[in-house]
Amino acid sequence: MTTAPLVEPTVAPGEIVTAFFDAIRRHDIDAAFTLVSPAVKTEIRPAEVYGGYDEARGFFEAGLNAFPDLLLRSRRTAEFQDGRVLNELIFEGTQSGEFLGILNQEKHVDIEQAWLTEVCGAQIVAISGYWDQNKLYRRLAVKRLDRISIAS
Amino acid sequence: MTSALDTTQELTARVVTEFFDAYRRHDVVGMADLCSDNADFSYPPFEISGKQRVIHGDGKVHTIGRVIWTGLIHSFPDLTNDVTTLSANSNGDAIAEVLISGTQAATWGVIANKRQAYEVPHLFVFHVGRDGLIDDITGYWDNASLYRQLGHAEID
Repeated sequence: MTTAPLVEPTVAPGEIVTAFFDAIRRHDIDAAFTLVSPAVKTEIRPAEVYGGYDEARGFFEAGLNAFPDLLLRSRRTAEFQDGRVLNELIFEGTQSGEFLGILNQEKHVDIEQAWLTEVCGAQIVAISGYWDQNKLYRRLAVKRLDRISIAS
Repeated sequence: MTSALDTTQELTARVVTEFFDAYRRHDVVGMADLCSDNADFSYPPFEISGKQRVIHGDGKVHTIGRVIWTGLIHSFPDLTNDVTTLSANSNGDAIAEVLISGTQAATWGVIANKRQAYEVPHLFVFHVGRDGLIDDITGYWDNASLYRQLGHAEID
């Protein structure tokens, strides 16, 4: 099955990235990743996810699987002439499965995130995520950095 | 010919560059002087659990911002920064990816001094007003990386 593009090729970078996160909010990973270049550069440091298309897609799939009620509440968006787009979000949901090695203790999280993307043409060619993984661990009841997968 | 939009973009980038230059000189007064009197400040990762309440890194530059910057410089006397990318736009928004590094010489928050060095990528988001002053600063970084580099395993 081929998913139709969500945006026209001439739309602004900010609209492309907004469409990407809107698709993630709908749990429509296939649609979201029609907006991502196969050659995307992925750097999601807090989750230690680096690489390309498969790594970015894997991260968002894992997030939606672990937090089925995930909300990505938008706080601020800014667009820059060099094709970069900033999205500040709240990653909010209740854990219902393992996530990044963290056991499920059914805790609720609300973590401030900043996503920095770069758009070229009508595709996202770079994606970076910034947040405090310590805060995520704290919200999910992890007690020590050397024992991430041990329940408290 | 320089348009008004270009001027705003260039002014924004210049102010943010000056901010990190002052930070590199440990000139907290200079950093604060680049901000408006009522500038907002938010460091979401800054969260310290006290005995009775949790202290958050949210407020104003001239109150909590200056306190945090001064404390960091005290605990990491060789604190420095390297602005790796900087983008600004004609609305006065700016984003800066900045590598911040230093060597611990005193307790920082809940982290005892083990004389360890750290280097952590940060993302700063700024807004610069028409008066050429920063009126909003937000900073993101990963404390898990910072704690690990400083030898502190407890998440607390």
